[in-house]
Amino acid sequence: MKIRNVIFSLFALVLLLTLAAAARTGAAGKDKEKDKDTPAARSGVSQDDTSRLQGEQRFHANCARCHAAPPKFAPRMAGTIVRHMRVRANLTEEDARLILRYLSQ
Amino acid sequence: MLGFTLLARKAMQAGLLCLVCLLPITLEGQEDLAKPIPILTGSTGYFTRVNGGTFQDAPSVSPLLLVPMGDKWLLEAKGSYSLTYAKGSEGYYEGSSAYGMPYGQIDYLANRYVTITAGRFVTPFGVYSERLGPNWVRCLQLTPMIQSVFSGSSLGGMLRGGFPAGSDKVNFNYAAYFSANNTHHLLATDRSTGGRIGFFFPGPRLEFGASFQQVLQLDRPHSAGVHFVWQPNRVPVTLRSEFVRQSGTKGSGYWIESSYRLSQIPYLRRLELVGRGQQFFADPKLTYAQVKKLGALGKDTNQADAGINYYFRSDIRASASYGRQFVLNRNVNLWVVGMTYRFVMPLGPKGNPL
Repeated sequence: MKIRNVIFSLFALVLLLTLAAAARTGAAGKDKEKDKDTPAARSGVSQDDTSRLQGEQRFHANCARCHAAPPKFAPRMAGTIVRHMRVRANLTEEDARLILRYLSQ
Repeated sequence: MLGFTLLARKAMQAGLLCLVCLLPITLEGQEDLAKPIPILTGSTGYFTRVNGGTFQDAPSVSPLLLVPMGDKWLLEAKGSYSLTYAKGSEGYYEGSSAYGMPYGQIDYLANRYVTITAGRFVTPFGVYSERLGPNWVRCLQLTPMIQSVFSGSSLGGMLRGGFPAGSDKVNFNYAAYFSANNTHHLLATDRSTGGRIGFFFPGPRLEFGASFQQVLQLDRPHSAGVHFVWQPNRVPVTLRSEFVRQSGTKGSGYWIESSYRLSQIPYLRRLELVGRGQQFFADPKLTYAQVKKLGALGKDTNQADAGINYYFRSDIRASASYGRQFVLNRNVNLWVVGMTYRFVMPLGPKGNPL
């Protein structure tokens, strides 16, 4: 009786994990489908390239207004620097997000 | 009064204890690769200045500690230390040191519109003091005279933020603060209130805004100012300007600065040419005693500066400038030559590029 309970519990656990994994894959697939409909995807430019380009533009418009362009930083360092500059230079939330992406790549 | 002082000291001790206890917990929680880490940054510089024939050598260091906590908090603490060696009356070089804390503040990014700041902070007035102050950022090392007209440091609370104003074509930014009076000789601040608003147009890269400060002690003067920054898209030129006027005894003035990075010319792309003109108008009603007390702010002054900066790397820069100051009965030459180095050091695992 006890063995049957253990097997049943294991089976339920595996089923749950499989369902969760399937749901996640499905969501990722939907995201990819959505990406296909974006102007960037239609023009053959990847989402990464678009956000990098936007980040570069925001970087030059905001950061280069005061100082020379710094080198790229490791992502966790860039996160701190961009948060500091968001406060000091009153960057908008979107500008900060795109600049962080650009500096981290 | 004694009870209040003790209470304030206890509160400060408790606050510091909480900070010390919270810091390791916060750092432990930052294992995720995307989480920001504490960093130590800042700049060092060594400058030789000649002011009206008087030589000065001035090495300096300004470390800045940045500690992010969670997704919304940031602790910022900046210190400054400088030595000045100048030739004394007997012909020997004498050294003097100066140190201080330009700011030590904690920021809470409440939402996309508001950031709450508390502690000691740089007064949000114009663009120079907050954004162009560090010696590795400023194009000319000599500070414009009008920076002494208003109170540059504050101790208290501030609300600030920046967000798109209706469309992507214009961003609105603001800062509003209240500062308490502090008489500590290193951390002195005035009891004051004020703020700044600004508009930034990302397309033409044009920014303009206005600032206001009301001092709430002594003769209660107020200061008002306007600023603009323009960086055309086609040419690597930056134009900046500020105007300030005070209602009290400190007069009014403006500066206009232009910098041109020769990035379009081969072999000269690391070079930057800078020029600045400024005028300061002392209050005409000053008495002799007030003129003596105010020093440089007691006399009408015109000044023109020209300089070059050479970027060895983005973080190492050599600078040289010449200026001519025209003051009543005393026209002087101002020479500055030196170097700056900006450092950034991670205080934790920095992660790999995305």
